[in-house]
Parts: sequence; C-alpha cells; structure tokens
Amino acid sequence: MLKVYALAAATCLCSMAAWAETPSTDPATADAPGAVVAEQEVDLKAAEKIFRKSCRACHGNQAQGAASYPKLSDKSPEYIAEKLELYRAGEKIGPNSILMISHAKKLSDEDIANISFYVATAFD
Amino acid sequence: MEHVKYLSALSATAALLAGTALLSTAAVAQNGMNTTNLQHEVVLDGLDNPWDMAFLDDGTMLFTEKCSGLSVRLPDGAVNALYGVGEAEGYPANGADLFCEGQAGMMGVAFDPDFETNRRIYVYSTSNMSDPHTNRLMRFTLNDDFTAVDDRTDIVDDVVYKMAASDHPFGGPGAHNGGRVRFDPNGHLFLTTGDTHNSEVPQSPTKMGSKVLRIDTDGNAIAENNPPEGFDKRTYTYGHRNVQGIAFHPETGAAITAEHGPWHSDEITILENGGNGGWDPRPNMAGRGDCPDDYCGYSPNQEDGMNRYERAAFMPMTDFDTYPDAMPPIWNNNGWSQGTSSAAFLKGEGWGDWDGAMVVGIMGIGFGGTPIGQRIDVIQFNGDGTDVEDVTEMTLPMDPGRFRSLVTGPDGSLYASIDEGTIYKLTPGQ
Repeated sequence: MLKVYALAAATCLCSMAAWAETPSTDPATADAPGAVVAEQEVDLKAAEKIFRKSCRACHGNQAQGAASYPKLSDKSPEYIAEKLELYRAGEKIGPNSILMISHAKKLSDEDIANISFYVATAFD
Repeated sequence: MEHVKYLSALSATAALLAGTALLSTAAVAQNGMNTTNLQHEVVLDGLDNPWDMAFLDDGTMLFTEKCSGLSVRLPDGAVNALYGVGEAEGYPANGADLFCEGQAGMMGVAFDPDFETNRRIYVYSTSNMSDPHTNRLMRFTLNDDFTAVDDRTDIVDDVVYKMAASDHPFGGPGAHNGGRVRFDPNGHLFLTTGDTHNSEVPQSPTKMGSKVLRIDTDGNAIAENNPPEGFDKRTYTYGHRNVQGIAFHPETGAAITAEHGPWHSDEITILENGGNGGWDPRPNMAGRGDCPDDYCGYSPNQEDGMNRYERAAFMPMTDFDTYPDAMPPIWNNNGWSQGTSSAAFLKGEGWGDWDGAMVVGIMGIGFGGTPIGQRIDVIQFNGDGTDVEDVTEMTLPMDPGRFRSLVTGPDGSLYASIDEGTIYKLTPGQ
C-alpha cells in the first residue's frame, strides 16, 4: 500500500515544463524563483481507477503507447496535467482529440492531478 | 505504509490534491476456466505495435511491427529482422517508400500455401511510392536460412490511403486501411481494406478501399469473382467500413469478416461473392444532411456519446433501407463498437467445445459510455455454419490488451498480439 505526497507548485512554471515534453521532477525546477510549493497528497487508488477505465484501453496497460495513441509513461505530470486541462476545455490538439475531450471533460481538478502523477510514475 | 515525496511544478489543479491513497496492485492474472483452462506464455515482448503473424508447420512465425517492419521468429526462438519500414534500423533491407502514420504502416502478413516450394511471402504496408500515397500488397521471396527477403513485387499497389487529417474522431492521416492478408483453403489470396474516412470509397466500383479483394499471387482477380457491373474485378465484396478480421470457416470454407463498427455495431459477416456490406457514409442521402468533411461515419453527434441504436438508425453499419440485398451481419456486438480487429478459428481437441469455433479479438475503446471491452470472444456457429449460436468471452490467463491479431498456430495454440507490444501464446490446459 502506498500513499504519495506531491509537492505541487501552482505557478506558470508548469506550462514551460508541460510543453517541453520532457520529464520534470527535478527539485531544482520547482524550487526556481517564483514557485509556490505546497505538499499534496496524491490519491493513487483513485488515479488507478481512472487509468483503468479511461486511459489504458488506448494508451496501453503500462501507458507505453499503442497504435496511434502516444506513450505517456515518459511524460512529466506537468505535461499530462496541462494537456488534460486543455482537452477538458474542449481544445483540439491532435487527431484523437475527440476521444480525449470526451474523457477529460469528466475529470475534476483533483482527478487531473491524481491521474497525471500516476501515469507519469506508476510504470517506471 | 510508504510515503513518497514528489516535487513538482504542477498547474493550479495540483493544489487541490486531497484524499487518502491506497495503491492497489495490478490486476492479478486469472486462472481461466470456462470451457477450457487456458495457459499462456509470452512469445515475444517489447515489440513496436505488432500487427500480424503467420506460421509454418514447424512453428516458424513471421510477424510485422507497424512502424518497424517484418521479422521472423524461428522455432528455436531466434528472431531475424527481414525488411524495415522506411529508415527503421536493424533490418538487412528496407523499403524506403514504406512509412507509418496514425493507423497506417506495415500490417498483414501471410505465407504462400506453397511456401516450401516457392519461398513466397506477402506483406501489406503503406507506401509513398505513389502520390497520393497508397497501401500496397508486396510479395517477397524469403531465402533458405530465413535471414533475408528479395524480389519485392507489389502485386497490389492501389489501395487508397488517407492523406490529410479530417474533422472526425481518429481523424488523422492514415485512418482505416483494413490490412489483413489471408489465404483461403482454395489458395486464393484475400486482402481486406478500409474506407479511409472518405465517404465515396465504400460504394465506389473502382476505389479499392472498403473492399475484400480476392486475387491470385500475382495480384490478378480470381475469375469467379462476381462484383456488380463496372466494379474492379478483384472485388470479392465491397461496402465495408474497415475490415481487419477475416477467417475461413473450417467446414464450409466461407470467408467470414470481423469488422470494426463506428460508434456502434461491430459486425461479423459471412461474405457472399459480389456482396455489398452496406456501409455508405455519404452525406445528403438516406435521410442525412451535411456531415463533417463530407463523411457521416461517426454522425450524428460525433463528439459525444449517445444511444447506440439511435446512432445505428441514423448511420447504419449495414444500410438495408438503401441496400436491401446487403450481406446481413450474423453478430453485431450487442450494438457496441469496441474495436473488433481480428478473427481466427480454433482447431484441436484440446479446445473442447471450442474446437472449430471462431475467436475475435477486440481492442477496446470506451467512448461515450461504451464499455471498453478488451477481450477475446469465442463465437460458436450453428451446425451448418450459417449463423452465430453462442458467444462466450474467453477467460484470459493474463491481463487483456489491445488484441490486434489472433492467429491459430500449427501446434493448436492461439497466438494473440496486442498493440502494447506482446505476442502471447494461449494453450488449452489439462
């Protein structure tokens, strides 16, 4: 059993990390000037439930990517969270956007935070 | 209880994290026991979207990886790369014109029934040799030690390809290529194709998408093909959406397709020579108005879930009103579309009551309230092989995945590839 705490920074740094498509768990990133760091608790059980229901059928059972659906396990939580927020807002950012929007619009902020962390870290 | 500190620069949503967490372990493998008690083993893992397999009697297995290429696994387990897609590394030869995009790439593969004599194999792949690009069925000669292919001959070079993105689900380039390559018991070569999100393709007499082609090993039409007047004679059936599964009934020899539905109605259909599958997603006909980018295939309401039967009434998978003589499906997945991809027939007493039954691989989608449905279904036919008598979900001895290809091996085992990168061997247990 595992309880995970995330130190989240609610700053504009997230967008930089997200669009870079690179993992960004380097503490130095979050400690950069301007970061507002808060300790958070990630609900991995809830995240896994979302993953199994909404993600794995396309992105693969290890988020390794499959068919025309991209690999997620190598992305950072920031990247995934940002993309989910865009999809939830109805923005189309790829050929499978309709699928992603359909799933993302059901997610709360908490869901997005949970699933973003889970997908980026559960299959290391 | 283990706590893990994670330092991140999450967006504002992350600040709302709350709740307790208990990490459950990954799903535990099942001990399958319904009609048969299945054992499983991993034949190959870490592959790049394995798409199809083909076997010789000694267990030699050809396999394709969508964006990588063609390889062969020998009975001793050694794997030889044979022919790469584009600039894929590690292959002794490459098709510079081959490429992958979206759903397109290297797909179906088959051994010639007379392989022991002629060393011929057949591979279907997307190619940029023509413009617009096409899908091609290539014939190769495989050398005696299974290390190289030669004599590439493109026996079909004109299966349509989707060049540009469109406003549809899965709307990127490369959509709906069909892709299965199989020989029937008579030695005729069947190739299945897809509609490329182009509403003109399914009922077109000359565009070779949305068809099941029946040809000889030089790519010529079988003389007995009986498509309507004006159709390309290679056409065995037409009016399909995107056929990825075809298998031949072990007693009747009939070609039977398993087809991926739109937002509803995966179908199994017993093909009739010259028959129409009844898929016609054109706008401004059959009671429909305009549709996004002139393709009604996901309409109405293509971006949200809705009742599957209402969808089917608006845009039927088999439109009997427009085409009363269309080939009737014998199974429609209870009205769902869950990603039906491949089909094979089980063979061997070890399968018990399932000996001679059809198996269908379902990749899973999960859109708009549709259950994801990743599974292998066992389809049991009636005595004369003309209808479905029973459908059973196979109890799997491993986690499910995106079941892209099912092939019965010479040992009686069922080989199943999943897009995630694994080829499994499923064997009835004691």
